[in-house]
Amino acid sequence: MLTERWARLRGALAQFMYGLTGYEFARHALEMRHELESVFMVVTFGDLVGVPVLPPVYSLRLLPYVVPEIATWKRHMAQRKEFWEKDEYDLHGL
Amino acid sequence: MSLRRVFESQPDRRYIMFGGKGGLGKTTLSATSAYWLAQQGKRVLLFSVDPQASLSDIFQRDIFGKGPVPIIENLWAQEVDADRRIKDYQEEIRKKILDMYGFEKVPEEIDNYIAAASAEPAMEESAIFDAVVDIIVRGDYDYYIYDLVPLGHALYYLSMAKVYDEWINKITKLREDMRQYDQVAATMRREETVQEDQILSELTYIKDRINASSRILTDKARTAFFFVVVPEEMILLDTKKAAELFAKFDVPLSGYIVNRVLPADLGAGTIPPYLRNRIAMQKKYLDDIKTSFGDEVLAYVPEMERDVTGLPMIERLARRLFDEG
Repeated sequence: MLTERWARLRGALAQFMYGLTGYEFARHALEMRHELESVFMVVTFGDLVGVPVLPPVYSLRLLPYVVPEIATWKRHMAQRKEFWEKDEYDLHGL
Repeated sequence: MSLRRVFESQPDRRYIMFGGKGGLGKTTLSATSAYWLAQQGKRVLLFSVDPQASLSDIFQRDIFGKGPVPIIENLWAQEVDADRRIKDYQEEIRKKILDMYGFEKVPEEIDNYIAAASAEPAMEESAIFDAVVDIIVRGDYDYYIYDLVPLGHALYYLSMAKVYDEWINKITKLREDMRQYDQVAATMRREETVQEDQILSELTYIKDRINASSRILTDKARTAFFFVVVPEEMILLDTKKAAELFAKFDVPLSGYIVNRVLPADLGAGTIPPYLRNRIAMQKKYLDDIKTSFGDEVLAYVPEMERDVTGLPMIERLARRLFDEG
């Protein structure tokens, strides 16, 4: 009886500690995996979500028209914050 | 039905392809048919996109990468040099950028991108595809004879037409949707006109060309695809398999040409056992061809006494094939 209560308490304590420490990491990791998975999917199966993979001879043909936008677009991509760079996910000294 | 009857009774079939395993005589039959059609007064372009094309060899002159080269009256032959084409194309893109923006030189980052794109294997593939589209949609000739690379590749090129066709429709639609958003925004801002989308115009141009060539290549009324076979077991097995595959890709299969048939009088008299066996083997597979392909066989081409290269030999074969039946 006592052993059973003790085991329950130990389980609850473990869950509590997980919530206090590991939960955030696990959620973080899962979200990262999810994000990377969607990047992977766009790169490999882009066609499924309407991002057709361009045959190079035709993408070059479109290149002259996007010349002015390339620099801005690249800067935008570089400045784009991924979710793990946002303040709410910062682990603040951990 | 003979090959001659096919050409005479179906004059709308102006896009002709000979396919088959390597070394069976596709180039020989392409060149012979092109020669005969040119002699009938038709303007004919015989072309190949194979980097190891044989047209230069059969006509015994270097035509690689030189555009359509006149061979005899009404007959032009062309071997596409994909590498050269890619280089010219890169140069064209660079020049367009300089002209459009008045730059002194192409910005380094963009120049690097242009150089890197051409290193991709897909670049050569799409450049070759585009070269074929270019030749086909221009429509300067009465007949286009496409000297294809071996079977697997032939199927690949033909299926690519289908794939690119779907791809370009999709990406153009995407751009059109973007255009609609522009229009909504313009309306909100009470602007009267929306700036012309040059990317959409380019896409529409590419789309029209790809759609047109894809329509031609799968159109039974305009395109004829002939299988070249020789009376040998492995070739026949392979061809039967390929024929099933081709049917799935809507390739307009139009008949079979049996090449390298040993002359019937060769078996007369006393002959060495080696030759007797060869003749018996051919007879067996010729019977098999009759049972399997029946009326679809359009010609039995004799094994000539020497290889077919140079115009006099092509002319002789053309006479045997088209005039003597």
